[in-house]
Amino acid sequence: MNDRNRHPDNNRNRRGPSGAGSDGPSDGRLVEVHSQLSRDKDEPAEGFSLTPILVVFLFCGFGFWAGLYITRNSADFSPSAFDLNAPKAAVAGGPVAFEPDAAKGEKLFLANCSACHQATGLGVPGAFPPLAKSPWVAGTEERMIKAILAGLAGEIEVNGAKYNGNMPNIGAGLKDAQIANIATYVRQAWGNSAEPVMDTKVAEIRKAIGNRGQYNPADLLKEHPLQAK
Amino acid sequence: MTQENRSGRPQGRPPEGDSRLSRVEAQLRGPFLLFFVSAVIWLLAASILGVVAALQQGAVAGGPFRDCEVFTFGHVASVQRNLFVYGWGFNAFFALNLWLLSQLGRFELRNGWLATLGGAVWNLALTYGVVQIFAGHQTGFGLLDFPREVGPVLAVAFLLAGFWPIVAFARRPTGHNFASQWFVVGASFAFPLTYLLAQLLVLWQPASGVVQAVAHSWFISNLLLLWVSASALAAVYYFLPKVLGRTISGYYLAPVGFWTFFLFAGWTGPAALVGGPVPLWLQSVGIVAGAMLMVPVIITAINFHGTLSSEGGWARAWNDTTLRFVSFGAIAFTLFGVLNAVFGFRGYNAVVRFTSFAAGQEQLLTYAFATMVLFGAAYFVLPRLTGSLWPSAKLVHVHFWATALGALGMLAGLLLGGWQEGKLLADSAVSLQQVVKAGSAWNFVLIISAVLLLVGHVAFALNAFGMILKSSAPASEGRHD
Repeated sequence: MNDRNRHPDNNRNRRGPSGAGSDGPSDGRLVEVHSQLSRDKDEPAEGFSLTPILVVFLFCGFGFWAGLYITRNSADFSPSAFDLNAPKAAVAGGPVAFEPDAAKGEKLFLANCSACHQATGLGVPGAFPPLAKSPWVAGTEERMIKAILAGLAGEIEVNGAKYNGNMPNIGAGLKDAQIANIATYVRQAWGNSAEPVMDTKVAEIRKAIGNRGQYNPADLLKEHPLQAK
Repeated sequence: MTQENRSGRPQGRPPEGDSRLSRVEAQLRGPFLLFFVSAVIWLLAASILGVVAALQQGAVAGGPFRDCEVFTFGHVASVQRNLFVYGWGFNAFFALNLWLLSQLGRFELRNGWLATLGGAVWNLALTYGVVQIFAGHQTGFGLLDFPREVGPVLAVAFLLAGFWPIVAFARRPTGHNFASQWFVVGASFAFPLTYLLAQLLVLWQPASGVVQAVAHSWFISNLLLLWVSASALAAVYYFLPKVLGRTISGYYLAPVGFWTFFLFAGWTGPAALVGGPVPLWLQSVGIVAGAMLMVPVIITAINFHGTLSSEGGWARAWNDTTLRFVSFGAIAFTLFGVLNAVFGFRGYNAVVRFTSFAAGQEQLLTYAFATMVLFGAAYFVLPRLTGSLWPSAKLVHVHFWATALGALGMLAGLLLGGWQEGKLLADSAVSLQQVVKAGSAWNFVLIISAVLLLVGHVAFALNAFGMILKSSAPASEGRHD
């Protein structure tokens, strides 16, 4: 405690004529006393005891906020996102500007459809109808979207072979963009060549058909007749 | 504590001859005075250029030298900024850091000629760089304006002149260490690394595209925070307990302050590029680092203001020349931390982005904080090294009031003026002409402040040079006020 109250000029006038130890001791003490202070945590406890805990909480709060701020304002660390206020379209892969993506569609197809229709799109003869070169997936995209959304149940003829179809409403659990990607992939794979499908179209049809049961293939064909070859 | 008013003895020390210098101080006297004298000369040059630049900026018709290509605003303002930082700031901190760590580590400088050589090379390179800027060979990157061949020379000179504090730290006799030592050692390591990398990425092997700008902003933030501020913080940590004769309050927090300062300061650079074509995450990291810098700022505030607040410390600080300057600087640093955190945020940043506000923040750090601390340090150290007294108490007062008021005026002009300008610029109903007109009052304030600063620096230089000359003239025993 003596050090705290000592007047500075007292140190300074104590210079010996030789100069040895003139300022050394006081600077040495300054270092030593502080070095003790940082070791003895109890020392600065005079009416100040709340500070440490408050400071710790405050700084933890800062750290927490910093994490939040960076996550929310970094556009997923994309190197090409510059402007926070720009429409999301500027951010690559954003949901606003949908680009039908057959590569994404392929992954989704393999996950959701290939169990029956097979990765080759050829189906299983006698059990599951093929999609490759199938007129059902060509032409208007609405027929196909309806089948994915609501499913099919009943006799169905594809490329001259008859199947007793029972396709569940797979699409009810998928997003518009995912269905659009799947449909795009199917319509352009295995020698198929039809227009890509937009997510807005899927949304439109999902809204139009509502929550209905599986389609009868014959009914679906009446709504959207197959294209004449 | 009141002798200062009467006798111009801010430190109240009796006059002593050179023979009474401690060995530590006797060894470093030569290099210290070389650094100090060149620092003050550069400071004077920078202040004169500061007045010229303020006149030029305020005058619609171009101000002085409008027909002289060499002294156009772009040259003058750039030379002023570089001289202030590299001429004054670096030389002064070479001197102060060397003195501080020699004192704290009881280090006797040997081979001091190396430091002297470094100082000479540093100042020659600086002179060459300034001539080159006036000749029009600027690089266009602020604070890296010198043509690129100057860079390596300055780096070598820094190693010769600025590395002694590290040696002093490494050779200290006891295992103890003190906050001032951490900050000086950190600064002495941080600057050369930053400078060499920035030279490489910005000038020698320019990084492609936006990376160059990012590297430049990184360099500026490191230069201002990790070298200038860290060195000045070291001085505050030393002079407060030294002059007040008590320990730093909340000192146990200081290590946290030190590490967080060095951790976050290096990341704050990209905040200067908010709104530019820099990846969003980099901007956000800069903003967050600026806000996280509040951690060391709060800790230094507890350390400094807590120490000053107990036992009438503020009153004693006001009556002691050294502490008056140093506590001015300590307050300025806290203010800088708050402004830096708040105005990093996108909403506020958008207002002040293209105004003088950024220059105001830089001045808050380099002038109101670092330079004021350096002045305070000079009032403490010089009488000891020269063994004589400050010749005139009046000049000390002129120095304090002129620089304090000048600094406040300059900050008001740049910060408030910048804020107002930003608000007007954002208002589509206000024409650019009206914006310029509204700023003319602030320009007048800036001119007055520049003149005040020049007056203060001249007073300081007269006093300091008078004292140094008196002490080096062997037979001059008598002192005259």
